[in-house]
Amino acid sequence: MKRVALFAVGLLLVASTAMAAGPIKIGLMAPLTGAWASEGQEMKQVLELLSADLNARGGLLGQKVEVITEDDGGDPKTAALAAQRLTTKGVAAVIGTYGSSVTEASQNIYNESRIIQIANGSTAVRLSEKGLKYFFRTCPRDDEQGRVAAQTIQKMKAKNVAILHDNTTYAKGLAAEAKALLKGVKIVFFDALTPGERDYTAILTKLKAAKPDVVFFTGYYPEAGLLLRQKMQMKWNVPFIGGDAQNNPDLIKIAGKEAANGFYFLSTPLPKDLPTKESKAFVDTYKKKYRNAPSSIYALLAGDGFRVITAAIKEKKSVDPDVLAAYLKKGFKDDRGLTGRIAFNAKGDRVGELYRVYKVDAKGNFILQK
Amino acid sequence: MKNRNAILFILFSAGLATLPPFLNAYWVDVLNSIGIYAILGLSLNLIVGHTGLFNLGHAAFFAIGAYTAAILNTTFGIPILWLLPVSALAAGLFAAVVARPIVHLRGDYLCIVTIGVGEIVRIALVNDIFGITGGANGIFDISRPSVFGLIIRTPYEFFYLIWFFLGVTIVLFHFLENSRFGRALNYLREDEVAAEGSGIPTARYKLGVFALGAAWAGMVGLIFASKMTIIAPESFSFWESVLMFTLIILGGAGSIPGVLLGAALIVGIPEVFRDLANARMLVFGAAMVVMMIFRTEGIIPQRPRVYRIEAIPGEERP
Repeated sequence: MKRVALFAVGLLLVASTAMAAGPIKIGLMAPLTGAWASEGQEMKQVLELLSADLNARGGLLGQKVEVITEDDGGDPKTAALAAQRLTTKGVAAVIGTYGSSVTEASQNIYNESRIIQIANGSTAVRLSEKGLKYFFRTCPRDDEQGRVAAQTIQKMKAKNVAILHDNTTYAKGLAAEAKALLKGVKIVFFDALTPGERDYTAILTKLKAAKPDVVFFTGYYPEAGLLLRQKMQMKWNVPFIGGDAQNNPDLIKIAGKEAANGFYFLSTPLPKDLPTKESKAFVDTYKKKYRNAPSSIYALLAGDGFRVITAAIKEKKSVDPDVLAAYLKKGFKDDRGLTGRIAFNAKGDRVGELYRVYKVDAKGNFILQK
Repeated sequence: MKNRNAILFILFSAGLATLPPFLNAYWVDVLNSIGIYAILGLSLNLIVGHTGLFNLGHAAFFAIGAYTAAILNTTFGIPILWLLPVSALAAGLFAAVVARPIVHLRGDYLCIVTIGVGEIVRIALVNDIFGITGGANGIFDISRPSVFGLIIRTPYEFFYLIWFFLGVTIVLFHFLENSRFGRALNYLREDEVAAEGSGIPTARYKLGVFALGAAWAGMVGLIFASKMTIIAPESFSFWESVLMFTLIILGGAGSIPGVLLGAALIVGIPEVFRDLANARMLVFGAAMVVMMIFRTEGIIPQRPRVYRIEAIPGEERP
């Protein structure tokens, strides 16, 4: 009898130490080296700030939160190793990563190990179409932008629309998406330019002959800048709308302030225009600590991934991935995310509109349109 | 001597085969990575180490093998391991076609052209050439290999596939080294004019070794594709070619154990120093610099060939 009692006491002791075992670990998989290193570094800084803040307020379920960062190098092969390593570290969830193919290389590894993954910059549609149970993302999908573009064009009450792309996968995809969604307007022009050239007057003349009310260009900012400048030189006054690859201050440098004035583009909100009080406060603390504002929205989306998962753990008082995944897909809502309202659908995609319309003013500033 | 090598090889293989149960999935996967780079290194070693042709575009052949396998597997559903000869053939043929006009180039000139070839292949893949490479997003949903009905899925299972392939490669390349072909390659490296003068068709041998090295890299590409189940152009960047090249120079050009050690170091060092996060590549760079100062011929350089003169009648043995 005594033995049994001893055994029971021993078991209890073991159980209790297991319960209080160390901090809750959240993994971060980010490109700390390689071509996207600046994104990765910022993601890491954002998560460090958020976890320090959370720990200062008493942590999570009475325990500290520890962020374990692994470098994915912006490359699928390194990412697979990083993911494999994180699965052996006992993390409750993983935030990241940036590139779509990089995320894809790690998806199955996390899913097989039953670890929740919240990607922050991987916008490829197919990632969430595989029916993976533990995959989420805080960034919008590629097809979301096409939808917002179509809406914006329709709001402008244009009748004849010209769509111009540059044959890259991204730009062509966005152009096709918008074209399919534009109902009740006439597409008078749908073609590509060759990126990297200096003179686009030929294609502009062709465009002008089609007499569009608005031109939607889905390519990148260097071409957009030249198009705007040469359009002004032709004295052709037609509104241009651009995709989110044109959200870059260099656009103004290339086009000149005068030519860029009145140009619209779609983008996820710039860090300066983030909607909530929390995000403004966060950007301020970030500035204080690192002496400049976060330049990339994707770092803040990683921060949102962290906030989401810690909020879910707190609410459900559990780190069980099944419980958390079910809760995130149904019932979870966060109105005060760094990048606005956050909720997920059954595929793990973020619901709600993240894309905004920006307009360039006479001074070359990007002004958020309400 | 010969027996000792064989016994060492068998003992080492047996030791490795019992290793995985003691390691976690991460370290097994690191070993897999080492294995993949070792095979790539050995295939490039034929070209760089044995023949002395500077090839900094080996990732292109690796990519062609991987993409051939991925495209045929995803569009026609052919089991991936059946495609092994197809991948080898595609990469080998491509190498032969590309190398034909450039093999007569020497040293740095050849090196620059191979860099160009590597970049052209990568950019062609990014630009979704013929609409089959999937552009920057790459190809996904490549099926896992299956051996006798067993689907190879976990790092542990891949360990045995990769290292078995590596073992076969080592044995074959060992015999190749000591064959007429291997000796001719070494002769080429040491003195091309003398080789030509002794009746070695240098252009044909160079072309042959390019095609063979590329075919081998193509097969590794297939294994890589089936392991990752997704391939994208960034896996075949210039940096990959540089890594393959450095691991040979680091370990010892022309020597099989040297290349194996080189692969272990090149893949292993950044992983061991993962905890340093940002600085991990610094250790890697520093190690390379130290190497190049103190041991320029590599850690385990190729041993000179020794032929004993025995029983030549009428002469004293030296």
